[in-house]
Amino acid sequence: MLMFSYLMATGITTGAFYALVALGIVIVYKSTEVVNLAHGELFMVGGMLAYTLYVMSGVPYLPSLLLAVAGSFVVGILTERVAYRSVLKHGLASVLVATIGVSFILKGIARYIWGGKGDYLSFPPLVSPEPLQIGNIMIMSQQLVVLSAAVVVMIGLAIFFRRTRAGKWMQATASNPKAALLCGLRIDRIYMYTFAVGAAVAGAAGVLMAPLTLLYPDVGFVLFIKGLAAAVLGGITSVPGAVVGGLLLGLIEQIAAGYVHSSIQDLVPFLVIMFALTFLPTGLFGLRGLRKI
Amino acid sequence: MKRLATTFGAVLALASVAAFGAHAADVPGVTDTEIKVGSFGPLTGPVYIYGKLTMNGVEVYFNKLNAAGGINGRKLVLVREDDLCKPEGAIAAVKKLVYEHKVFAIIGGGCSNPTLAARPELEKAGVPFHVFAAVADGIVDPPAPNIYTTQLTASIESKSQIQWALDNGAKKIAIIAQHDAWGRSRYEPMLEDFKRRGLHVAADEEVTVDQNDGTAQALRLKSSGADAVLLLGYPKAAAVVMRDSIKIGYKPIWVGQTAIQDLPALQGLIGIDGAMSSFVSITTIPGHPDNAEYAEWRKLLKDTFPNDELSVFNLMGVAAAEVFGKVVEAAGKDLTREKFLAAYSTINNFKSSVYPGPITCKADHKCNQSPAFVKLENGKVVYAGSVELK
Repeated sequence: MLMFSYLMATGITTGAFYALVALGIVIVYKSTEVVNLAHGELFMVGGMLAYTLYVMSGVPYLPSLLLAVAGSFVVGILTERVAYRSVLKHGLASVLVATIGVSFILKGIARYIWGGKGDYLSFPPLVSPEPLQIGNIMIMSQQLVVLSAAVVVMIGLAIFFRRTRAGKWMQATASNPKAALLCGLRIDRIYMYTFAVGAAVAGAAGVLMAPLTLLYPDVGFVLFIKGLAAAVLGGITSVPGAVVGGLLLGLIEQIAAGYVHSSIQDLVPFLVIMFALTFLPTGLFGLRGLRKI
Repeated sequence: MKRLATTFGAVLALASVAAFGAHAADVPGVTDTEIKVGSFGPLTGPVYIYGKLTMNGVEVYFNKLNAAGGINGRKLVLVREDDLCKPEGAIAAVKKLVYEHKVFAIIGGGCSNPTLAARPELEKAGVPFHVFAAVADGIVDPPAPNIYTTQLTASIESKSQIQWALDNGAKKIAIIAQHDAWGRSRYEPMLEDFKRRGLHVAADEEVTVDQNDGTAQALRLKSSGADAVLLLGYPKAAAVVMRDSIKIGYKPIWVGQTAIQDLPALQGLIGIDGAMSSFVSITTIPGHPDNAEYAEWRKLLKDTFPNDELSVFNLMGVAAAEVFGKVVEAAGKDLTREKFLAAYSTINNFKSSVYPGPITCKADHKCNQSPAFVKLENGKVVYAGSVELK
């Protein structure tokens, strides 16, 4: 029973990781219908920027977090302006390929700047690194911080998309870019801000999760795959779906690794993606892609 | 008479120039003033540390030698090729170094599998090859006439990990391993040694290089009752599993290997005080790069690579280059590949400034057979002991 409790608690806390990554993927997809394959690297950039400010330069934690998020936002704008906008006219597949290029470029830049400082960079946690006792199990305090942050970001995004004009513009652009253009929306600018908001969420996730994931130029890839699996499972257009998908993925992973064998832990996200694409093409909360002609 | 003497002198001078020129032309990569040495390993990609940083260490040592006038009047010039830690990359890199750059010898091999894949090409080319980081036994086993290593090989390390656990009273021993090519090069000899000794593996768990949570692994290790766990993983995998083991109250003897040599860094990655109290690891260097004995290398590295902090990988490069330089020196002024390879036999009980044990090159071409263990005590890396393989 104790083992089960540990696996459930760990499943939820690691699931919150995946949810936070999935949220950024969902934001971009929801508005642009592009899966940003550089999302993991934007996560890494956020963490590295915070490392530079907080660890290397001694800037206090909160300003470091905010500046890293702002820096990620700017990187999001730059990638859209430099790499994506010019290829958008050739179709979404071209943008997808461009995101792969951006992913490699960001990793290369990170290796150049932070690559000589050791294989993994450790980032001090926001709270005590000692585990916290809840009931009869122990949980890492930083995992609870990530869990809380995922909930806050999810609520913030739900409000953003439902209540704010910018959020509605983004959804309108995603739904029908030509109609949005006819209504006077500057869709190029909306795309730019969408990539930037997605990058900022990735940056925030990078800073919050850095004490647990550690930092290195390639840290983003595996988390991106898991975030993508969570997003696909939850419904890639659904903000609550990303969170539920993340939590489910975390739980499935832990139960499989704990009761079957640790060797299948990394297989789980791929199985989830295959399962979701086969049996739940729109995910648990995704909108049906019906269109009237 | 005077005219005859002048003519004779001129002919003699021309003949000697021709003879010397012929020698230089015969030996690839060697001129009067320099020796071109190639290197391959990952310069980019996720494991660039095993290539780029180790090569930086080699270059730092070459710079030191060159500043002192080189070896026998020749300066050592390092030519780097990126193999991306991929077999096809290593084969292409070796071909480029041998046939395009025409290097005299190669000091390199950052990743085991790519280096293993390049072995036939290295043997075919006959170029002397000195391994500086890769650990797979197959690179030098069976010995090739032109390949030597000063890195501890995987099987030596794996056997030493088991021996350490047994010497320290372990009754039930578990393994937690990465099952990538690197991990398997250690895992398989380890299983063979368990079998040879008639030992049972208490638990056999897997981690990945990018593991972010190790709770499930820690729970399974704990439920097996293992009192020693042999870690065949990179620092991140080790840190995650050790951190989550502490979380569930499990504290066995942890035995690491040379991928986990920076113990303060591992402590930093785990982040929990006292996490390293039952941890030891095999080492390439018997201390920490921040220790006083490496001050010279720290300074020299900063002079050449101002962005880098001295790491174990840099020191692995320095150590291999020290032995390489010694062999070049022993080969003499009339340097040829044959003389260079023959000179390895003169390396006997060589004490480098980095390797913990003496370096002796014998018939098996595994010049480093002295695994030493280190532990963290009061924040300092200290020598924990060694083992005698049984």
